[in-house]
Amino acid sequence: MTIDDVITILPEIAVTVTASLVLVADAILDRKVARTWLPLLVVLGLVVAIFTGPMIVASHTAFGGFVVVDTFTAFFRVLFCVLAIFATVVAPEYLERRQIPAAEFYATILFSTVGAMTIALATDLITVFIGLELMTIPIYVLAGMSRRDRYSNEAALKYFLLGAFSSALLLYGFAWLYGLAGTTTFAGIAAALAVHGLTDGATLVALALVTVGLAFKAAVVPFHQWTPDAYDGAPTPATAFMSVAPKAAAFAAILRLMIGSLGPLGLDWSAVFAILAALTMTGGNVVALVQGNVKRMLAYSSIAHTGYILAGVAAYQAGASASAAVLFYVFAYGIMNLGAFACLIYLDLDGTRGATLDELNGFARRKPAGALAFAVFLVSLTGIPPTIGFVAKVFILQPVLDAGLVWLAVVIALNAVLAAFYYLRVVVHLYMYDADANAPRLLRTDLLSAGLGIAGLAVVVIGILPDGLYRWALAAAAPFVLR
Amino acid sequence: MAASLMDHLLTLLVVIPVAGLIPLVVFFRDARAVKQVAIVTTFIELVVSLVMLAQFHVGEAGFQLTESAAWLPSFGIRYELGVDGISVLLIPMTTLLTFISVLYSSGGAIKERIGEFMAAFLLLEVGMVGVFMALDLFLFYVFFELMLVPMYLIIGIWGGPRRVYATLKFVLFTLAGSLLMLVGIIAVYLQSGEAGDRTLSLPELLTRSDRFPPDFQFWVFLAFGLAFAIKMPMFPFHTWLPDAHVEAPTAGSIVLAGVLLKAGGYGFLRFAVPLFPIGTQAWLPILILLSVVAILYGAVVSVVQKDLKKLVAYSSVAHMGFVTLGIFVLNQQGGVGAVLQMLNHGFVTGALFLFVGIQYEKTHRRQIADLGGLANQWPLYTAFFGVFTLASLGLPGLNGFVGEFLVLLGTFKFNPVGGPGGLFWGPLAALGVILAAVYLLWMFQRVMFGTLREAYRALPDLSPLEVACAVPLLVLTVLLGVFPQPAIAIIAPSVQRALAIATHASAVVLK
Repeated sequence: MTIDDVITILPEIAVTVTASLVLVADAILDRKVARTWLPLLVVLGLVVAIFTGPMIVASHTAFGGFVVVDTFTAFFRVLFCVLAIFATVVAPEYLERRQIPAAEFYATILFSTVGAMTIALATDLITVFIGLELMTIPIYVLAGMSRRDRYSNEAALKYFLLGAFSSALLLYGFAWLYGLAGTTTFAGIAAALAVHGLTDGATLVALALVTVGLAFKAAVVPFHQWTPDAYDGAPTPATAFMSVAPKAAAFAAILRLMIGSLGPLGLDWSAVFAILAALTMTGGNVVALVQGNVKRMLAYSSIAHTGYILAGVAAYQAGASASAAVLFYVFAYGIMNLGAFACLIYLDLDGTRGATLDELNGFARRKPAGALAFAVFLVSLTGIPPTIGFVAKVFILQPVLDAGLVWLAVVIALNAVLAAFYYLRVVVHLYMYDADANAPRLLRTDLLSAGLGIAGLAVVVIGILPDGLYRWALAAAAPFVLR
Repeated sequence: MAASLMDHLLTLLVVIPVAGLIPLVVFFRDARAVKQVAIVTTFIELVVSLVMLAQFHVGEAGFQLTESAAWLPSFGIRYELGVDGISVLLIPMTTLLTFISVLYSSGGAIKERIGEFMAAFLLLEVGMVGVFMALDLFLFYVFFELMLVPMYLIIGIWGGPRRVYATLKFVLFTLAGSLLMLVGIIAVYLQSGEAGDRTLSLPELLTRSDRFPPDFQFWVFLAFGLAFAIKMPMFPFHTWLPDAHVEAPTAGSIVLAGVLLKAGGYGFLRFAVPLFPIGTQAWLPILILLSVVAILYGAVVSVVQKDLKKLVAYSSVAHMGFVTLGIFVLNQQGGVGAVLQMLNHGFVTGALFLFVGIQYEKTHRRQIADLGGLANQWPLYTAFFGVFTLASLGLPGLNGFVGEFLVLLGTFKFNPVGGPGGLFWGPLAALGVILAAVYLLWMFQRVMFGTLREAYRALPDLSPLEVACAVPLLVLTVLLGVFPQPAIAIIAPSVQRALAIATHASAVVLK
């Protein structure tokens, strides 16, 4: 390990140090001081992390080939830090109300973020696996952080069991890959697979195991069964974070692994992704249609978004525009989905339960700015201009059609109509019904409102001027252009 | 400064309503200030649109006052605006109807959440004006969809008892069509050139029409056509319209009928027909059939309506049938007639919805059977309403006649290669005009004449504000009826050009 290696992973170190500082500070600071200063410390640490990782770097490896820093890494580093900042900002009032220890919450988020960032660094199966575990184990904790709540416990246990199960599958797949290639580096695997081809039974087993393992992590139908309960039962700020960051990381892994190193076989494999994508978006949307609980509905709808992103993966023969579309969508999804979950934090309900549709009645009158932000996120998730969700969908449709998957493009379009029904139904309750006597109390939440305001503005501004972000995504996708 | 503003008149039209949102948000809680801001903003918009019309060179067929800037350079997508004879009259129509809607709504028709209402209206105006100016397909789509959410809120918040059902239906129908169009737009983009040279700019695409093979045109026309057919709405996609109109507040109905429906017809004429002439030909028999069915069906269903607002809504289906018929007979008279019909329908049906709304505000009844005898009570109202009713049924001398007459003329000249021609469709469509006289005059008789209910005896005639809203529409209705030539002179060259491009392109592709 040289000093150069250390510099390569400065952002990860910064986040780790921040997490440790948070825990220490919590122990020595006065409770009142901690309440205001801890979130600030977290945000500061994450901002430092963003700026220590140079935005665009020439690709270079470190730690003897275990780690690579390229434009792709830079993109995901920033994305994960931004998501962590967002999740931190929306949480404090909720945590205090539920008496969830704030410092532990922040530290857990930060550790998970380091894990996610590690996945983006990976150029070796072992790094991928370490990153995945480092990311998910804190999230098991996050899901169960409302200790006395039955549903929170259930969420943590379900997530843990299925997470462990999928990790085992993935690891088993990695073992097969290692057996085939005799190495764990992506480059070595790519070279070995190029020789073997897909005809080999062992290659098929390895690919199937890896696909299923990653599909579990990303909540792809039919491996999504854990998502609704885990998302629904977890404390809402935790849900907001865990619905976006692990999914983004899973797609980072899918791109790195499936396209980066399995690229030679990709042409045959993309059909699998296309079918999974269609199943996932349709499955998620159809079940989301019948949910009365908004948190659960958003959980199912996040499955549907996995499907849209997967469609971009399936279309990767279209070239850089496909991977760029995946990156852009992951970014857009991160902001709008985190935002939508976070809007539920306004409602002061028992336990970790999310609001029902009826409990949102008249929200627009009670909290106009919050309702506006919620509506913006929902419209964006639906994919109506001028929002980031709309351009993200256009960017996905373009490579899908370019790759000749016309049927998949039509499935995406029809799914967007299904999604419009349940997303806009929330807007109906926000704006078109009046609150009754049973309306839940509202939390006092200045920080939350500020965070949502900034995110909502970003959703619209990037929706009108998406070129900068898209160019960045395009640059980040450069390592995956089919050679 | 002034000179540079004159170079960006179209952008100004997009920016003014957005700029109006800023003081609106500042004075959000103050109902009086909100109304004033909205009225002033929409008035300035109206004035600027008239300045824009004055700058337009009559007789030129191509796009004028164009603006173009890179917007999404990685995709070659441009912020490109321009107007020609087809669109230049629709824009002042839009701004006028918006101004009237805002003016009328501030007179007490909207009682609660006026700030949100006016904000929705200003946003809606951005989308409506933008749709008629966008020359880049992507930009067009953005404006097309931008109209959706504000209208969704306007119907859903300030609408009648079944507003939620109506508004969801409206949005889902529209979205289903437009999302398929989005797939079509991207398909056009991919087909438009090699990577790095692709474009969605309409003027550019029109020069590349040799790149769209017949099969491709067939499917992409379907994708575009569905979106426009739902928006129009054409039979059998019209089922959202009566619900949306009945539930919408008066101002919402005015712009929904007056402007939003036109986006469909305009889309056909601006994009679908010139870009995909072979696709148009392939679908032509069905489109003509559906247009005539819409004319007859809309009329027949209007006859039996018991609800006044629903009657006007169904009559819109029939009137829009004339628009599509005029477009798809693919000749000069039909095309000019279709554009005129869009314009006239905007003024006349907008006015009819205004008067139905005024009447409802006073009587709180919309069932025709509950009304009657209002003529003696409200002489002024009766005079206005009478003129607009007559215009709607196509009385010569009023504007409705001109458009329908030209469309019928075009229809009789329609001479397709196979299938029934103009001599078959013409009389059928003409039957629609007769039916219009039946349902409109019968409606007028039942509402205005007969015995007056005791409860209505104290109700006042039109207020000055209501007269102020109606007068511009009345003037235009008479003016365009007596003296349509200036409008035709503006419209005709561009329609001719669009049809010529279509003919040329289909020859190129088929070669």
